[in-house]
Amino acid sequence: MSTEHSTPNASPSTNRFDAIVVGAGPAGSSASFTLARKGFKVLMIDRGRRAGTKNMYGGRVYSEPLEAIFPSLRKDAPVHRWVKAERLSFVSDEGLTSIEYRGGESKSFTTYLPELVNWMRAKAEEAGALVATEVRVDRLVVEKEKVIGVQAGPDTVYADTVIDAEGVNRLLLEGAWQMNVPRQEDLAIGLKETIKLDAERVNQRFGLEDEGMAWILLGSVTRYIPGGAFVYTNRDSVSIGLVLFLSHAVKRTNGHISRLLEDFRLHPKLKHLWRDGELLEYSAKLVPEYWRGFMPRRLSGAGLLVVGDAAGVLLNNGMTIRGVDLAAYSGYLAAETFTKAHAEGDFTSEMLSAYGRRVEESFIGRELRKHNGLEYIRRNPHFFDQYPRLVNSGLGRIFNIGLESPTIWKALRGAQKDVGPDAWTAIKDMYKIGRTL
Amino acid sequence: MTQKDDLTKKPVNVDDILKVDLYDVEETPHISVNFDRCIGCETKPCIDLCPAKCYDLLGGKVLFSYSGCLECGTCRIVCPQNAISWNYPRSGKGIQYRFT
Amino acid sequence: MQILVGIKWVPNTSNVRFDPKTGALIREGVPSIVNPHDLDAVEFALDLRDRYGGEVNALSMAPPSAIEGLEQVLGMGVDSAILVSDRIYGGADTLATSYVLAHAVKRISNQRGKLDLVIFGQETIDSSTAHIAAQTASWLDLPYLYYVRSVEIKENGFIAVERWLEDEKTIYDLPLPAVLGVAMKSREPRPVRLIYKIRAKAEKPIEIVTNEILKLNPNCVGLKGSPTWVSKIDYTPEVKRKREVFMDPDAGKAAKWLMQKYADEDINLIGGAHR
Repeated sequence: MSTEHSTPNASPSTNRFDAIVVGAGPAGSSASFTLARKGFKVLMIDRGRRAGTKNMYGGRVYSEPLEAIFPSLRKDAPVHRWVKAERLSFVSDEGLTSIEYRGGESKSFTTYLPELVNWMRAKAEEAGALVATEVRVDRLVVEKEKVIGVQAGPDTVYADTVIDAEGVNRLLLEGAWQMNVPRQEDLAIGLKETIKLDAERVNQRFGLEDEGMAWILLGSVTRYIPGGAFVYTNRDSVSIGLVLFLSHAVKRTNGHISRLLEDFRLHPKLKHLWRDGELLEYSAKLVPEYWRGFMPRRLSGAGLLVVGDAAGVLLNNGMTIRGVDLAAYSGYLAAETFTKAHAEGDFTSEMLSAYGRRVEESFIGRELRKHNGLEYIRRNPHFFDQYPRLVNSGLGRIFNIGLESPTIWKALRGAQKDVGPDAWTAIKDMYKIGRTL
Repeated sequence: MTQKDDLTKKPVNVDDILKVDLYDVEETPHISVNFDRCIGCETKPCIDLCPAKCYDLLGGKVLFSYSGCLECGTCRIVCPQNAISWNYPRSGKGIQYRFT
Repeated sequence: MQILVGIKWVPNTSNVRFDPKTGALIREGVPSIVNPHDLDAVEFALDLRDRYGGEVNALSMAPPSAIEGLEQVLGMGVDSAILVSDRIYGGADTLATSYVLAHAVKRISNQRGKLDLVIFGQETIDSSTAHIAAQTASWLDLPYLYYVRSVEIKENGFIAVERWLEDEKTIYDLPLPAVLGVAMKSREPRPVRLIYKIRAKAEKPIEIVTNEILKLNPNCVGLKGSPTWVSKIDYTPEVKRKREVFMDPDAGKAAKWLMQKYADEDINLIGGAHR
């Protein structure tokens, strides 16, 4: 009789790595790929059956940061449609007003995130990273305030540095740094349905020729709850969904939250766009919404770098939502920081703190700081309520002519008296917005 | 949710919507709820906020079923009673996203 | 103990869509998985190894994509895997499949000099024939038991095998080597372990065996060696759930209510419980 198998042989070649990356999402895969390409011994661990099966997003990826990391992106990434049509709509009980932009060049694309992430994982694996899926990491192993490895079930594996790409639910980080559970005020909840439509119908109904549309809708589509709705066209499906600020949603859903998404899908002015479609998937995710609140005070510690959603590098300014590309680039910057640290043989918190500075100095930091002023808009719920109504009510007065048309001023004034904020608030808001932009 | 149901005609029960999702359900629950703490909870935000409706009310009591969980983490954040012991499933189990 | 476990790489049929026009199964977005009942068999084999020592190896006949599934069972602690994979094995029914598997088993047995048990899951989720174990045993001329719940090694080179049927439990003494079909859900498969998964990826202990190695008659394998054909597939209509709830602290009342519901729906419970 033998029990030799109760303890697996943890030889140095299999339990010691240069870097361990926890999570094979956009941030983790980018970090692993970058490190493996430089010849480091990288272990990437993911809890999903395969990379990507736990990933969810709204529906559009900005390509340039990814192309900087994955040079072959335009050649072999699983892109569904390059976005060439942008639409922004204000929806209220009074009507629906849209502005649309169509340009020639495209810098973003739609895809299913599980597909894209699995492609990134394959790149990392081809470059030499060892990818262990189906494993949930339970703990960051800390010794003398330095992260020295990870523990999963009964097993511990060691590395000079752990790159934490665990996502928005950062249980590992909370454990290692004794952090609090994130606040509702700093998070949004995203819900989405993917509806199958053949490519021809997608083209017809959205006026496309195999290119993509990204569409943000504000107002009654969220029952005026701060946040927004979105529609993205995929190859042969559309993604429709909502992003709701969690602290507002908690108070105002008034029934189950999925009903809001249903109401959006059944919206009388929109539902024809996905008529006869077939539901493919329903998904949900928490989104780091207010990065100033969500981002940890530091993005690194001794033996630890924090990337992606766990680091809170996500931008939502109402019109632009950037998560995947910022996450990926933070993973890339973490890999670059590790490279430098490795050259010096120094993985202390001082050395690795260069990563936080790199994030701040990169376009990630600039983007996040730039749009910080829009906080004012997001923190004032009447933006999601009164202004969409004001626009629609005003335009209604201008276009629905009886005998005599009103002057534009009179139409707007009438609308403002009817549904809008009082004049003083409106002037204040305009001033704030003007200053921010 | 059957294929013949027209998505644009009438609301679909979220339980039926969840049927299109692919799961590999772990036998041991990955989330556990301390129901004693739900008794004094006035708002019970889990009921309406969990996108997969894992939390339900029955006779004033909270019922919890983890099998439809989308692993979003919302319940952990919104629970005012700190009653939820939350983790991800092990061994690749749980939601298997494909089209999102 | 030298144990071989059969693994089938199947479409995850827990959630499939059908083309409303043709009635054909839509494979898009249906990932393949290890047949869940085979994971029960893996757990059964690993438990035997935990208790008696030895080796557990996995055997699968599948396209190369099944490597992903074999890595999963290696991650659970299986020592190595053999993937029998060749284009000419494609389209096989259970007869042609078991024919190939039996020859692969023989080859492994010869290579290792010893093979004690070949273990299969009760059935597969994509076809539910439960043929493979019996047919493989038959080709190999080995004793075979199904619905097996437990095995103990006896002193005399025999094993004591416990088999559960619906209304009886039988213990058989079986000489080794033997073929077993493990009862589904007889135990919870252990989770994948990080160390094993790393080993599976780093050492790649998966041997790929083609027909150049097995040298089987092409007329006996794949589509050519398969006398079975599916003439028609019918789909059972979806039954809408009624979502009725009965609340009462008295369990007896609840049970009565439930039994009445069964009677109302004309559902006959095993053993005629509603009489």
